[in-house]
Amino acid sequence: MKPLELLKHEIDKCVRCGTCRSTCPTTKVLGVETASPRGRVSLVSAFSKGEIGLSETYLKHLRECTLCGACRTNCPNYVDTVSIFAAARAEAVEKQGVPLAASLAFRGLKDSGGIVGIGLKIASRLQGLLFKDASAGPGLVSRFSLPLVGNGRLVPPLAKTFFLDLPEIKSLSGAGEGNRPRVAFYAGCGVNYLMPWVGTKSIELIKRAGAWVEVPGGQACCGMPAYAMGDLASAREMALKNLEALESSGADFIATSCATCGHGLKAIMPELLSDDPALKLRAEKVASRIRDISELLLNELGFRGKGCESGPKTIVTYHDPCHLGRAQGLREEPRELIKMGKGTVLKEMKHPCLCCGLGGGLMYTNY
Amino acid sequence: MLSNLVKNGLCRIVGEANCSFSREELLCYSYDATNTLHQPDAVVFPSGPEEVSLILKMANSEGFPVIPRGAGTGFSGGSLPVEGGVVISFERMRKILEIDTENLVAVVEPGVVTWDLQQKAEKLGLFYPPDPSSLKFSTIGGNIAECAGGPRAVKYGVTRDYVLGLEAVLPTGEIINTGVRTAKGVVGYDLTRLLVCSEGTLGIVTKAVLKLLPLPEATVTMLSLFSDMRDAARATSAIIKSRIIPSTLEIMDSVSIKCVEGFAKTGLPDAGALLLIEVDGHRAAVDAEAEAVRKVCLESGAKEFRRAADKDEVKDLWKARRAVSAALYKARPGKINEDIVVPRSRIPELVEGLRGISERYGVLIASFGHAGDGNIHVNIMHDKETQAEAALSAAEDVFRLALSLGGTISGEHGVGLSKARYLDMELKPEAIAAMRKIKEAFDPRGILNPGKIFPTPPGRKAAGSAVVL
Repeated sequence: MKPLELLKHEIDKCVRCGTCRSTCPTTKVLGVETASPRGRVSLVSAFSKGEIGLSETYLKHLRECTLCGACRTNCPNYVDTVSIFAAARAEAVEKQGVPLAASLAFRGLKDSGGIVGIGLKIASRLQGLLFKDASAGPGLVSRFSLPLVGNGRLVPPLAKTFFLDLPEIKSLSGAGEGNRPRVAFYAGCGVNYLMPWVGTKSIELIKRAGAWVEVPGGQACCGMPAYAMGDLASAREMALKNLEALESSGADFIATSCATCGHGLKAIMPELLSDDPALKLRAEKVASRIRDISELLLNELGFRGKGCESGPKTIVTYHDPCHLGRAQGLREEPRELIKMGKGTVLKEMKHPCLCCGLGGGLMYTNY
Repeated sequence: MLSNLVKNGLCRIVGEANCSFSREELLCYSYDATNTLHQPDAVVFPSGPEEVSLILKMANSEGFPVIPRGAGTGFSGGSLPVEGGVVISFERMRKILEIDTENLVAVVEPGVVTWDLQQKAEKLGLFYPPDPSSLKFSTIGGNIAECAGGPRAVKYGVTRDYVLGLEAVLPTGEIINTGVRTAKGVVGYDLTRLLVCSEGTLGIVTKAVLKLLPLPEATVTMLSLFSDMRDAARATSAIIKSRIIPSTLEIMDSVSIKCVEGFAKTGLPDAGALLLIEVDGHRAAVDAEAEAVRKVCLESGAKEFRRAADKDEVKDLWKARRAVSAALYKARPGKINEDIVVPRSRIPELVEGLRGISERYGVLIASFGHAGDGNIHVNIMHDKETQAEAALSAAEDVFRLALSLGGTISGEHGVGLSKARYLDMELKPEAIAAMRKIKEAFDPRGILNPGKIFPTPPGRKAAGSAVVL
């Protein structure tokens, strides 16, 4: 991972043409130059020259970015904006520390023993990720806005039993007889703590596609939330843990059902470990085996949805997560999977690529 | 520097939440696409003409510069606060107020992004043609101030041809309405046309009445490859001479092609030059015209000609084309970006002339642009450390060449800062004097966008750095 001082050339590559004003989701919503990638690059440029300091205004605008990568994808000069913003956040953390809510969560997520068996201890810590202190009084306020509870705020409930603690997961035997591809499943925090059923269904599908599945122990958070907030020390620790956990598995592929984890393991893990050439090489080897679930099923296992029944006609739409579409270039695969359901009709929504608003640590600082 | 009195006044006018004085925020309003920096003393985000009027009145009484700003994506420094002062950003005034489908008229606030208006009009079967390469992020207000053009100008004209009327605030604070919302109108001087292209020096547009057209039924996009710029230039003249008016006739030389080849998924071919051509209109007519274009291109030495296969390819080709200007920095770090125009029949002579200039000064000249209307973007790419002077001399020669061919030194970017020093190459002193008188009549204290077109001393100093990007 390059520090800010080594990104001077990248910063200077920005010619301030303004193209990114049309692609950045935060510019679209907030409408002002300070919320545009061009504005942020200008701020980082001024900061790196010592013209402005680590002021509240600077950090606010720097942290408004979701790291979705839309500006980088469409930049005429291929300015690596995402690396610039990540490095600038890292430098801010180095000098000033991690924002409180995020720091609590990260401390939990990298705790010894990875994410297996931390149980309630981490669950309570994870509340920092989901809640923030209510400034008007005692208690916690939800950081997520989902329809269900009262005035429209819902707290995604922690799973009763975490995915990695499920008996059927613990008893997964991995490779059996027969010459089938072997897949190691990486859960990630979303699947483990919040949506274990996504993990179990994924495993069911992988099996149906004709592969052996195992869930390697010692998995940690993919490190993306910490990376996004600039807490590189935590992110690196997590990357190292995952490297060790996933490397030892001799599986042909490592699958994840989470867009962010996929991007984190494919691209950011090697970057985080790039300070040590040997580690970087190992990380790249592991990264080359990482597949998103849609990519694995369709491109590697040739899954063709035999016997998928979805009942009467169901209209389904699909939202491209930034870390899957833009970051991993996987746009068709999820759609192909959806279309396999008998009676399922894929109807595109208006802006399928517009950022969901929670990425890049935005939820820690701006919700 | 602004006094506290002025700062408090600004806050009272637009509300505290809509003014910025912090170093960080000012920094984000100190540049445009010329990539030069001039920091303002304040940025304000008004919500309507009354607020703009009060700011201008205060500017007259207190004597500070006011600089209107859309998206800050101009190529001549029009929105740069070279003398400091208050930047009025129209980022909050971005409503499409009305699309009148019976009279084919749109009424918009200045901060509306051109593309957004076009999308909305298209849904109603209507068409707002002006399409500067920045159309996805530049604003109608900025387009009006600079009279933005674009590829479609060859058939549909430029921004000026679609502005029927304006609501504007004069530099002295009066809110006026100019023009009409009808097809005709000749009452009094044409202040609408005077304000369009005045680069924010005569008034601030707060509302625009724009003309719309019916959306053409069909468009065919074609790509024609040539081994040499000269052949492509000849083909351009031949197409116009054959009485076909394409809706787009864009040219790109090999340097431009190389800099954006990654932008088209289908890949851009390795060619000495290419023409990107579109014809639009009724389906049957379009096919016949496309065939005629094909014939002319092949007769003029095209080594390959093809129609874009589908919408995705069209989108890709345009994405690549629109990225050229910014992407050219891949070729050399220094760029002087000019947008001369010559009569279309003389494009081949222009191409020859540019070749000579490039050789004479040892600079790389990348040309692309709107060949169909003779508006070529000539980019003098050079090494900033060692070739700055040679590049400037080359630019002057480019202007001389354009003028000698019966052309003009700027087709659509405006004079702003970067061409101010060359104004008298094209205009007679008497004409410049007449323009100055107009400026003085509108803006006696010279508070509105000072330093542009007719440079003040700070403007002249700023122009030096704005020319060589």
